Amino acid sequence: MFFKHIHIRIRIVFLIIVFIFILIIAKVFYIQVIDYDKLNNYAKNLWSRNLPIEADRGIIYDRNGVELANNITTTSLVLIPNQIKDKEDTTKKLAEILGVSYDEMYKHVSKRTSIERVHPEGRRLSYEIADKIDSLKLKGVYLVKESKRNYPNNNYLAHTLGYVGIDNQGLSGIELQYDKYLTGKSGAIKYLSDAKGNKLNLSEVYEQPQDGININLTINYKLQEVLERELTNAVKRYNPDHVIGIIMDPNSGEILAMSSRPDFDPNNYQKYSKEELNRNLPIWMTYEPGSTFKIITLSTALQENKIDLYKDKFFDGGSINVDGARIKCWKHGGHGEETFLEVVENSCNPGFVVMGQKIGKNTLFKYIRNFGFGQKTGIDLNGESNGILFSLKNVGPVELATTSFGQGVSVTPIQQITAVSAVVNGGILYQPYIVKSLNDPETNSVIKKFNKKRIRRVISKKTSKEVRMALESVVTNGTGRNAFIDGYRVGGKTGTAQKVNNGVYMVGNYITSFIGFMPANNPKIVVYIAVDNAKGITQYGGTVAAPIAKTILKDSIDILSIKKPKGASEKEYQPAEKKYITIPNVIGLERKDAIEQLKGLNIEYSGSGNTVVYQTPKAGERILEGETVKLMLNN
Amino acid sequence: MKKKDMVLFVSIIIISIFGLIMIYSASNIWAEYKFNDPYKFVKNQGLFLIIGLIMMNVISKIDYNIYLRKSNKILLGCVILLILVLIPGIGTVRNGSRSWFGIGSFGIQPSEFTKLALIIFTSKYLCNNERELKDIKKGVLPILIITLFIFGLIMLQPDFGTGVIIVMSIIGLMFVSGVDFSFFIKIGMIGIVGIVGLIAIAPYRLKRILSFLNPWQDPLGSGFQIIQSLYAIGPGGIFGQGFGKSFQKHFYLPEPQTDFIFSIISEEFGFMGIIIVSVLFLIIIYRGFNIATRCNDKFGKYLAFGITFSLAFQTLLNLMVVVGLIPVTGVTLPFLSYGGSSLLITLCSMGILLNVSSYNKM
Repeated sequence: MFFKHIHIRIRIVFLIIVFIFILIIAKVFYIQVIDYDKLNNYAKNLWSRNLPIEADRGIIYDRNGVELANNITTTSLVLIPNQIKDKEDTTKKLAEILGVSYDEMYKHVSKRTSIERVHPEGRRLSYEIADKIDSLKLKGVYLVKESKRNYPNNNYLAHTLGYVGIDNQGLSGIELQYDKYLTGKSGAIKYLSDAKGNKLNLSEVYEQPQDGININLTINYKLQEVLERELTNAVKRYNPDHVIGIIMDPNSGEILAMSSRPDFDPNNYQKYSKEELNRNLPIWMTYEPGSTFKIITLSTALQENKIDLYKDKFFDGGSINVDGARIKCWKHGGHGEETFLEVVENSCNPGFVVMGQKIGKNTLFKYIRNFGFGQKTGIDLNGESNGILFSLKNVGPVELATTSFGQGVSVTPIQQITAVSAVVNGGILYQPYIVKSLNDPETNSVIKKFNKKRIRRVISKKTSKEVRMALESVVTNGTGRNAFIDGYRVGGKTGTAQKVNNGVYMVGNYITSFIGFMPANNPKIVVYIAVDNAKGITQYGGTVAAPIAKTILKDSIDILSIKKPKGASEKEYQPAEKKYITIPNVIGLERKDAIEQLKGLNIEYSGSGNTVVYQTPKAGERILEGETVKLMLNN
Repeated sequence: MKKKDMVLFVSIIIISIFGLIMIYSASNIWAEYKFNDPYKFVKNQGLFLIIGLIMMNVISKIDYNIYLRKSNKILLGCVILLILVLIPGIGTVRNGSRSWFGIGSFGIQPSEFTKLALIIFTSKYLCNNERELKDIKKGVLPILIITLFIFGLIMLQPDFGTGVIIVMSIIGLMFVSGVDFSFFIKIGMIGIVGIVGLIAIAPYRLKRILSFLNPWQDPLGSGFQIIQSLYAIGPGGIFGQGFGKSFQKHFYLPEPQTDFIFSIISEEFGFMGIIIVSVLFLIIIYRGFNIATRCNDKFGKYLAFGITFSLAFQTLLNLMVVVGLIPVTGVTLPFLSYGGSSLLITLCSMGILLNVSSYNKM
């Protein structure tokens, strides 16, 4: 045919065109079907805007479900600058309500961002202010729910609970340590927006925030309350540099209460210094323990059969010579001949030096380490210290001697109470812990339970029993008698340690401590109290710390339902034989000499001079041992 | 005179009306924002559509042989307009190109008319110089020079898209008229050398050109339009978001009623919509080629083929850009994109095509 040639070429062109169409349709198919998910996600991200809704932080409870940290719901201001048409007017109104300058507010209103928070003036708004803003019905101005952390008991347990920053992020304590559990997942109101930021009138999606996980602590609210009260009283009475208190369940390592002074209010943490906020003294502070450490020496000596409490005797002449150094007993002139039980009762330093010598440095230091000193206990809190021990190669006879009665070692309060718990619970060292369980925020059912963690057996049951008995007798007959509770069995040990500053012992500046437990035959509770630099009183553990521990132990009887023992006991029960003392005349004497004369009595001063000008009760009166004599000093 | 091609006629009416509806859907948000009148674009386009359909009907009744006689004058007129439009004060600048004669808010692009004029001229030239076509120098070169001259004028505006369509339409015509295959291979090679040369002069062009392969490399620059287009097409899925429910028209895709209207169609009607639109185009193209094939007269054949091929090429060029197969060129989609003079000239050329069809043997 005439046109055949043209027709073939037209057909070729048409086929090419059809082919390209198929290519295009295939590409569309690829985009719309195969790449659908990816592109749809990208596009949804492009179109959608989120108004975040904060999740509630997990609630922290005590062991019985009392809230220690919870949340208050507040509202915050959120701006979507693109939706604000009349920027001047909106700025003016908001600046007025929030008390912010016009210029500063204008920066927020005109910021080139999809969502702008007015920080910090627009956060945590009061109901009145939120209501005012809401009633203006301004376009692009939103109020969203925010959750503010609240500590209903203010300073109570502050260092352990910690505190949170403005964005509800944990900054210390449990709040920091368990931040990832406590922090929930924010929800959002999602809406679709055009490219200019205007809300499209299509469906809004509400994405529910996921609240954080609740935490149950091992803390007993009531015991904590008692401890807080007693520490506050101690501060009032003695104006010390620090006070530290820990209460532990010796059979598990659970912390029942823990506190220290100075403390802080986590609701207003900004008012405190970094040191005050972040030093959780019961786990952070290290110092020479003094005589409470003798419990370790005693346990070691008994476990290794180096002494017999009743049969072995020791003569205390007031000091002991170790490798040329004279180590004095705290009692002028010494205790004379004593059994080792009396050495313990009297907290006699030379007696413990001998005990240490009998044990030998290798064994003593092995036990010290086995009791957990010189290393972190591993409690589930931030900021724990290691403490310092002599390294074994540096331990000579003098170091061995001082370590035996608690000098030259540096320990933390938590190490001491953990070690003593092991001593009295039958000999097993447990890792201390404070979080009992993690709980579901909806149902509060347990997600994860933390159980006691046995680290090792340190001494035998029998040794433990013997030490308990000795320590009970310290309270009944010895230096710890200020912790004696009539009708109950209390064991304990006092401690008075000189503080070291720049490698030199400070004069007249002690950490007085007491560690006590109850009931002495089967301890349910161990209490540790340390008072740093108590003022206006002779600084002995027996006079300062023991009475505090006694009050706490007394109150814990009801709280822990501790039964009164009936006759049967490890040692024949003897009530303390309280002696009456005739008060000598100390008026006109130097303070130091007056203290010497009034041994065995509690002394309170007023005035700052060095000579006694007045005393009460007067000379010649008889009072019970351990009662208080008030002295007035010249100025 | 026999009856005109009714399948083609109905297809044109359907696709034109669909185009008008889609222009409304794609443009109402922008129109509301810019002119406070959501119907602004659709009213303009509607007016052109009515004028265009009337003109198509009128032209479909005018014997196409009149163009054979007037082809020189028509082309000369268009070339004069192409020169005039370059003079500031006469031609107006829109979207960076001085391609328009502005009459109020309406605009006329002389390059669109030139496209049709050159197809008419070339069709005549091919009829008259059938013998010389075997000789490249004598037969092909003259028409090629005229075409490149016009391409040059259009590139001064500049309007690369229309220029390419014109050149390709003429090359398509020459291909059908029986010019040797080797010639087209040579042209293709020259084209490649030209492109390589342009890139060598300014290497940044390569990056721009290749950005269509991975638009996410420069999502706010050269890749912006294609990404926004993909964000429209992709979420459309198989059945689309539904009529009027495009998200991308909410200021994400710039001027969605023009070059990228196919994206909005994809978004609202999904893959199914795309198949239907493609089939409509294929019917029109098939009928156009069919008219060319069945035409007894060579001029009519070339004319029908040239018009149809030009339409097909423009359609494919637009679609390939929109789906990301080739770089952005700035070509509108016939019948569907907003643009008065483009629609007008498309409908006029369809009128010519319909007229050719009415002489067809059955």
